[in-house]
Amino acid sequence: MIVPFSHVLFLGGILFLMGIFCSVTRRNLFMIVLGVEIMLNAAAIVFVGAALRWYDLEGQAFVLFVLAVAATEVSVGLAMIVYAYRRTGSVDPSTFDLLK
Amino acid sequence: MAVLWSKDVTLLAAVAATLAPFASFVLIMVFTRSHPRLSAGLSLSAAGISLICALALLAGHWDMPEPIQYSGNWLASGDIHIPFGYLLDPVSLLMLAVVAVIGFLILVYSLGYMAGDPGFARYYALMSLFLWAMMCLALSPTMFQLYVFWELVGLSSYFLIGFWYEKFSASQAGKKAFIMTRAGDVAMFVGVILVLLNLGNLNILDMDNPSIAGRIPQNLLTLSALLIFGGIIGKSAQFPLLTWLPDAMQGPTPVSALLHSSTMVAAGVYLFERLFPFFSLSPHAMAAGLAIGTISMLLASTMAMVSRDIKEIWAYSTISQLGFMLMGLDAGSFFSGAFHLTTHAAFKALLFLCAGVFIHKFATNDIFELGEKGSRNLRVPMVCTVIAAGALAGLPPLSGFFSKELILAGLAGLANPLWLAAALLGVFLTAYYAFRPIFIVLFPHHSTSSQKASSASPDSGHEDAHDQAAYRLMAIPLLILAGMTLLLGFFQYPLQDFLKYQYAYLGIPADRHYGWLPYVASFLAFGGVGVAWVEFGRPGAARVGFVERIPILFRLFSERWYLDHLYRYLLERVVDKGLSHIFAQNDNKVIDGSIDGLGHGTVESGRIIAFLHTGMIQYRLLAIFVVMVLLSLYFFF
Repeated sequence: MIVPFSHVLFLGGILFLMGIFCSVTRRNLFMIVLGVEIMLNAAAIVFVGAALRWYDLEGQAFVLFVLAVAATEVSVGLAMIVYAYRRTGSVDPSTFDLLK
Repeated sequence: MAVLWSKDVTLLAAVAATLAPFASFVLIMVFTRSHPRLSAGLSLSAAGISLICALALLAGHWDMPEPIQYSGNWLASGDIHIPFGYLLDPVSLLMLAVVAVIGFLILVYSLGYMAGDPGFARYYALMSLFLWAMMCLALSPTMFQLYVFWELVGLSSYFLIGFWYEKFSASQAGKKAFIMTRAGDVAMFVGVILVLLNLGNLNILDMDNPSIAGRIPQNLLTLSALLIFGGIIGKSAQFPLLTWLPDAMQGPTPVSALLHSSTMVAAGVYLFERLFPFFSLSPHAMAAGLAIGTISMLLASTMAMVSRDIKEIWAYSTISQLGFMLMGLDAGSFFSGAFHLTTHAAFKALLFLCAGVFIHKFATNDIFELGEKGSRNLRVPMVCTVIAAGALAGLPPLSGFFSKELILAGLAGLANPLWLAAALLGVFLTAYYAFRPIFIVLFPHHSTSSQKASSASPDSGHEDAHDQAAYRLMAIPLLILAGMTLLLGFFQYPLQDFLKYQYAYLGIPADRHYGWLPYVASFLAFGGVGVAWVEFGRPGAARVGFVERIPILFRLFSERWYLDHLYRYLLERVVDKGLSHIFAQNDNKVIDGSIDGLGHGTVESGRIIAFLHTGMIQYRLLAIFVVMVLLSLYFFF
């Protein structure tokens, strides 16, 4: 393994924080979903790196599950965004304040 | 003779007798309501089957030393078994026969009386229901079953009293009868439960067994006897609960006849006969019953002395005669009560049916109007009324004389002469109020010439054929009942023979005969008739009763001793303003208040929580991340 595992962990951490930053700060529902996707992929990178580090296939198998979850999450999330857009005419999350 | 009867035939006859009216009720209600003639035919044939079976049972078991009981287990819950079945002994067979005979005759009479009524089919269905309930009540082997049919009798009489429900007073009277008898039934139910808790079952044969005294403490026995007597008070319209019966005449007259003679009010006295050994174990309950019977008898007599409504007079007379029966039973003379119940059923049915003919013809209940419109021209009902009233008054050759004399003999055997004196006063008053309406109707005030003119007037000249047919139909039962009234008194000894096995184990001493008693009683009865003659009958009589000359008494009597006012007052003060008010407050403040409080609490707490809400999902997302980070910091380090 050429790349040290710590670098992989660093990359995954950076990506995860970027995902959090994206989903919390951007005023757009698409960007929130995108942020969540990035967080999932950050976790997937760490899994792949760990699998390589310990020569264990379980990590890679987990990534497949993560991809499947991410795919379903995107489909449900996009459907909800479409619905939200039809209701309010905007994709700005601050317009959804009925509970306030 | 009982040997000749196989048990199966007996059971079959009992089932057929009791089931036929119910079957006709169901058939009429479900299928033939829109066919009046078919419905009447069904009901009549069912009553006929019952009549034949009842008479066959009576004849087949004329000599019955042991009661016959059939029962199947209907319900079992833990240690409590509730059987359902038939108990055949002299008392129940006699009652069954009385109900069947009177019921059948009244149904025949109703063909004429109710002809053309829009509710003809419904009427026959309800009458069948009434007969069924009463017959099953008579044959019940347990108090539980008896209670069920007791309530069914009350229910069907409610339907029939309020039969013309479009009339406000009729539906009110139905409700009054139902609610007032219910007051007694609650007491009775508590009494029955007391017996059940102490005895473990409710079999009438067990309750009537003298060994019950060892199984229930004396105090509890007295208490439950008094409570059960409360049910009798309600059903038989005795002293505190008597005002429903005069109002019950709002129903059709044949219904009144059935209700007053053999079914509804007789059920109370019948229950007393049924549980006679049970009651006689408690001297206090017997004394209370004696007092209540006496009070009701005298009160109702005074009310009957001033009433102008013919049905109301006979209704009061029912109360007083029932009081008389209870006096006899409570005095410890079983046969006298049972005998008077039987004779009373015949002559009271006759009185009401005759009154029904007059009312049907002249459309008024007022005795003075009936007299003026010429009721005396209706020969058959007039003669029958005189016969029945004579029996009611206890005039010698008629049935009432024999049974009344037995009751008086029973009372004369008591240590306290007060009861006998009260009963003799009752005999006098009965004769007076029984013949007061008769003299008024028979000798109308206006001169005979005008009466001739009115009878020759065209409206009586051409009666249509329909009226004639109805009149003839109504006359047949009258004649049969009149025959029974005349002859039943002479069946005293056969009946006594028949009932001798009933409660033979109690060793009731045979009623002593007092040679002077019949003379005194008939003297008083004739005296009462004489006073009525002097005041109402003789030519040129003032037609004002001696009571009516004393305004205070008159007011008191005609207002029913202000009992209804008392009840109304109690109802308004205690129930409406007291209990209902408390319940309404409870409903508003406690129940509604707590529910409202719950709702308000939820809304308010939601409002408080809403302050924490920013309405921005991303902040919540951030909060989740922060919490997760903090938690992971906490767990890992």
